[in-house]
Amino acid sequence: MEEKKGADPKLIVAVQMLSIGIILIILGFTVFILSLISRMEPFIRICSIVSNASIICIGLFFAIGGLIRYKRVKKK
Amino acid sequence: MYYDFVIIGMFLLLMFVAGIFFSKNIKNTADYFLAARSAPWFWIMGAVWATNIGFLHGYLAHGGAAYEWGLIQANFEWFQGPFGYILTGLFFIAFYWRAGIFTVPQFLERRYGSGIRVVYSLAWLVIFIVTIAAELYLGGMFLKNILHIPFWPTVFVLTIVVGTYTLLGGLGAAIMMEFVQFIIMILGTMPLLFIVLHFVGGFTGLKEVLLIQWNISPQYFTVLPDIHHPYGPGPWIILGQCFVVTIGWCAGHQSMVQRNLGARSLYDSKLGYVVAGIPKTLGAFLYVVPMIAAPVIFAQQGIFVEKADAAYGKLILNLLPHGMLGLFVAGLVSAGLSSIGSVLNSSSTMIIKDIYERFLAKGKSDHHYFIAGRIATFGIIVVSLLLVPVVLKVYLIMWLEQTLIAMVLGPFMGILMLAIFWRRTNTPGSLVGFLTGGAFAVFLQQGLGVQVFFQISWWSFVVTFIVTVVVTLLTKPPKEEKVEGLIWESDFKSKLGEVLGLRAETNGYRVKMIRRAKISIPHWYLNLKYWATAILLIQIVLLFFFG
Repeated sequence: MEEKKGADPKLIVAVQMLSIGIILIILGFTVFILSLISRMEPFIRICSIVSNASIICIGLFFAIGGLIRYKRVKKK
Repeated sequence: MYYDFVIIGMFLLLMFVAGIFFSKNIKNTADYFLAARSAPWFWIMGAVWATNIGFLHGYLAHGGAAYEWGLIQANFEWFQGPFGYILTGLFFIAFYWRAGIFTVPQFLERRYGSGIRVVYSLAWLVIFIVTIAAELYLGGMFLKNILHIPFWPTVFVLTIVVGTYTLLGGLGAAIMMEFVQFIIMILGTMPLLFIVLHFVGGFTGLKEVLLIQWNISPQYFTVLPDIHHPYGPGPWIILGQCFVVTIGWCAGHQSMVQRNLGARSLYDSKLGYVVAGIPKTLGAFLYVVPMIAAPVIFAQQGIFVEKADAAYGKLILNLLPHGMLGLFVAGLVSAGLSSIGSVLNSSSTMIIKDIYERFLAKGKSDHHYFIAGRIATFGIIVVSLLLVPVVLKVYLIMWLEQTLIAMVLGPFMGILMLAIFWRRTNTPGSLVGFLTGGAFAVFLQQGLGVQVFFQISWWSFVVTFIVTVVVTLLTKPPKEEKVEGLIWESDFKSKLGEVLGLRAETNGYRVKMIRRAKISIPHWYLNLKYWATAILLIQIVLLFFFG
């Protein structure tokens, strides 16, 4: 049974990290722009900002990490 | 409302595009079904939890049950769930890795022969297809109630998104999306807890209103109630649910196990499973605690709720402002999609590996099975969609699905325990035991009218165990070489190293990766035992206060 050579596991993880980061950043900013923050009650506003900011931060973390890993794998 | 549509639409579009982008990296069946065995432990953690939490097992159904029955619903998150994750991670996963398999039925075949593999695969395929249809139904109904969009177009959009990334990208895409969904679920839906508690004056204020002013039974705030509780008697939760269904679910549910088989090393797989106990514990704060407070908020705002299943939607619709609601709904859609995606991927794996490759088309090329996997995924999507109108007519979907699962998991746990601990257990014993246990579960439910699925699972486990032992003793023992390496032994660890070496010989790059990761001597913060102990301590504290 012939077996085609599989993908590089490191490349897969890099692409996954990069994609996750980009999705979270775009989604976080979209929610941030579209949320009517000024019209929210103060407590709900704080909850909304903390929630969005966390999503964006995690997105940045994964996007940068993924990009570094992606470049490292591609160099080899 | 318009803003919420844009947020949800953007989220679905991003997943669709990312799925297509990722699929370019998939080249053979190992990539497709096991994500090239590349996943680090944190991928496994997110994927296991997201697989476990959906519309059905999570927000809508569990939330609805919490609204009706109270904190007892948190026993899934604060007691049995993390316990099942830890036990499976520390113990059972190693056996699957050691056997070098793709599916759980494949392990059963190694130990017991092909008969049990077919029976187990077919039973789970039925459950999986019902699960997908039920998740699609709940997702469609939820979006219809919240955003007032038509049911069928919503179901089709959800199917296209999840179908595309699962069909094209396989397990790797599913794990990737599950991690995104894990983040969105935790961060996007957690604010509801704080907002709800803010409105009812904190947890103490909530207890005061419900117990003193409304005179509700203290059992409403108990995770493990007494034996007379109509919904979940405490002792049965421990015996039937925790020791049979939950452990069986964690160790025998193909979607849960497959994520771990896609890990880059055994240690990552075990650690990911154990650490998933943390988000599992958090789950109760996402949908159980807010729903316990929901009656008070509904009373404050004069809202009437007809069905418990609809309570969650009403709560967020009335509390959350636009924009935030969109993110929240995206989190809920995530829960549904993660469950559908994982089950879809696992169903196609079982069809190809356990039925097609094993019995219908032996010895074909890897590319052939890879394409067949995609066709199988497409087929399951179509069948599940056709089943949605049937599910529409079933009132208690969660009850139906859990009863089906209880019927399979009781017998499965019986033969799995014997497979690992009793060398003598043989093929006829396991097959007769499994079928008798399953039939007994049906008899309990249909013949005797037992409705508590904890009881069904426990007694079907006991019957399977006894019948398997008796039939095994009356028939020939299995050959030594057949059970070698598949049962618990004192030199297990050294043999595991040998098996990993053999795995490496046939798949060169995998060995390199296992060594390079240096996971065998973990840093203290990655130590499996520390994490398991910490999670168990959290459980003990929660049960001390709410048990």
